[in-house]
Amino acid sequence: MNKILIENDIVVSAALSSKIKISFLEQSEDFSVNKLVVDILKDSKLEIVYHNESASKLDILIRVSEGVDAKITEIRTGNFMKIRYRYEIDTDGHLFVQKIHHMKGIRELDTIYLNGERAKIHYILKTIATKREKYDITVYHQSKYTESFVQTNGVNLEETLDFHVSGVVPAGRVGSIVDQKNRIVNFTEGNCSIHPNLFIDEYDLVANHSAWVGTFKEEELFYLQSRGLSEEMATCLLVKGFLLSDLELTNKQKEEFDNIINQYWR
Amino acid sequence: MHKLKIEHLTVEVEGKVILKDFNMSMKSGEIHAIMGPNGTGKSTLSKVLMGYPSYRIIEGTITYDDTVMNDLQPDKRARLGLFLGMQMPLEIEGVTNADFLRSALSAKEEDQFSLMKFIKKLDTVVEKLEMDKDMIHRGINQGFSGGERKKNEILQMYMLEPSCVILDEIDSGLDVDSLRIVGQNAMNYFHEEQPIVLLITHYQRLLEYIKPTHVHIMIDGTIVKSGDISLVEEIEKFGYDKFKKNGTHVIEEMK
Repeated sequence: MNKILIENDIVVSAALSSKIKISFLEQSEDFSVNKLVVDILKDSKLEIVYHNESASKLDILIRVSEGVDAKITEIRTGNFMKIRYRYEIDTDGHLFVQKIHHMKGIRELDTIYLNGERAKIHYILKTIATKREKYDITVYHQSKYTESFVQTNGVNLEETLDFHVSGVVPAGRVGSIVDQKNRIVNFTEGNCSIHPNLFIDEYDLVANHSAWVGTFKEEELFYLQSRGLSEEMATCLLVKGFLLSDLELTNKQKEEFDNIINQYWR
Repeated sequence: MHKLKIEHLTVEVEGKVILKDFNMSMKSGEIHAIMGPNGTGKSTLSKVLMGYPSYRIIEGTITYDDTVMNDLQPDKRARLGLFLGMQMPLEIEGVTNADFLRSALSAKEEDQFSLMKFIKKLDTVVEKLEMDKDMIHRGINQGFSGGERKKNEILQMYMLEPSCVILDEIDSGLDVDSLRIVGQNAMNYFHEEQPIVLLITHYQRLLEYIKPTHVHIMIDGTIVKSGDISLVEEIEKFGYDKFKKNGTHVIEEMK
């Protein structure tokens, strides 16, 4: 598996095949932060692992070439981070992104451009929020028959968690699919919010969105408890199910995520 | 020998009294069928027995063996030996059936839990219930049909080996074949383990497989008549109207 390891805003190692090219620029013009550019040229899987000891900033551009099927798994841990992502997917390019976050605060801006016809993104975010986290995720459907599936799942443990998720489809981008599924499980009195937006100027498309903020349902807990699980065990099982569902992880990645989850729910 | 005793039970749900001075007594080796029209409180009874958190007991007691269960959490009731097969089993995303059952069983058996024994038994029961083996590794009831969900309830019952089984309309939404499999397996479990069985149903067809020793008619939150299987024929012939009189029970006349 291709792997990029980033520590404190610096790429410390990159084990990549010729299917992926990266360039790392310190201090980009418009953001005054380090910038990483990743070009995925052929079908491939990539793992990006971040860890920051101190608060940091990073700017990342990921480009998926025409006809390429790519999968990126990102595991991010550590201190507060401000990060900006830009994804560009070309004609018939497919990108499956899964992000696992466990940090002391995040401010993230992700912009996804589906530039060519039939370009597709499947984006899954799973976060255990222990401090303030805010995400802005916007998908621009720039061509016909483009598809976006965005799923954001967060568990809020201390302060606040906010998801702003937008899909933009201008007129003429027929046959597109825009799908959003956002859910926050809030274990605190802190404010959490989801802002799902669909900016659509086209009739010929399919669009769905769902947003849900709250704790687990009484019925769910009752069902599990009625089989002999204590409330604590039932909650633990529900959290694990919520955070692990829909991800496609290797055994090692799953073990890493399990270790993070087990810090709170064992 | 286990005993479940419900005495003078009055239950409120969202400010409305659903069960009114309900009384019933059951012991191991008995199958009690409760029948009654829609909205009469049958499902409320099943949930309150299992400890549904927002159902409030205003008066009365539920006793299992020597334990008054009124204030017990559902998991404590399950550990005493109660099991509720639900009418509408929930779909829980991300939690696989296998993980769920393994957790439930290891919580029950603690140090005695054996993974090998668990896997072996699970395979046997899956086969008995003619279930697809892959379903075990899917989320709880995720994408299951109505019949598959009910089979999954029976599967859980077999795995957890309860001494008191409450089946709430386990026949609803089942086709003929699924009804036969569910009914026969529930009855087989009864023969093997001799638990208390409380069966809630609208229809006679389930009783072709699960033969009740006692039949009760429930109207407006209380039992209005009890008897044996012959009572079912009466219901089939005359409906529930015979047991109501101008909207009030005819319990006295029946006596």
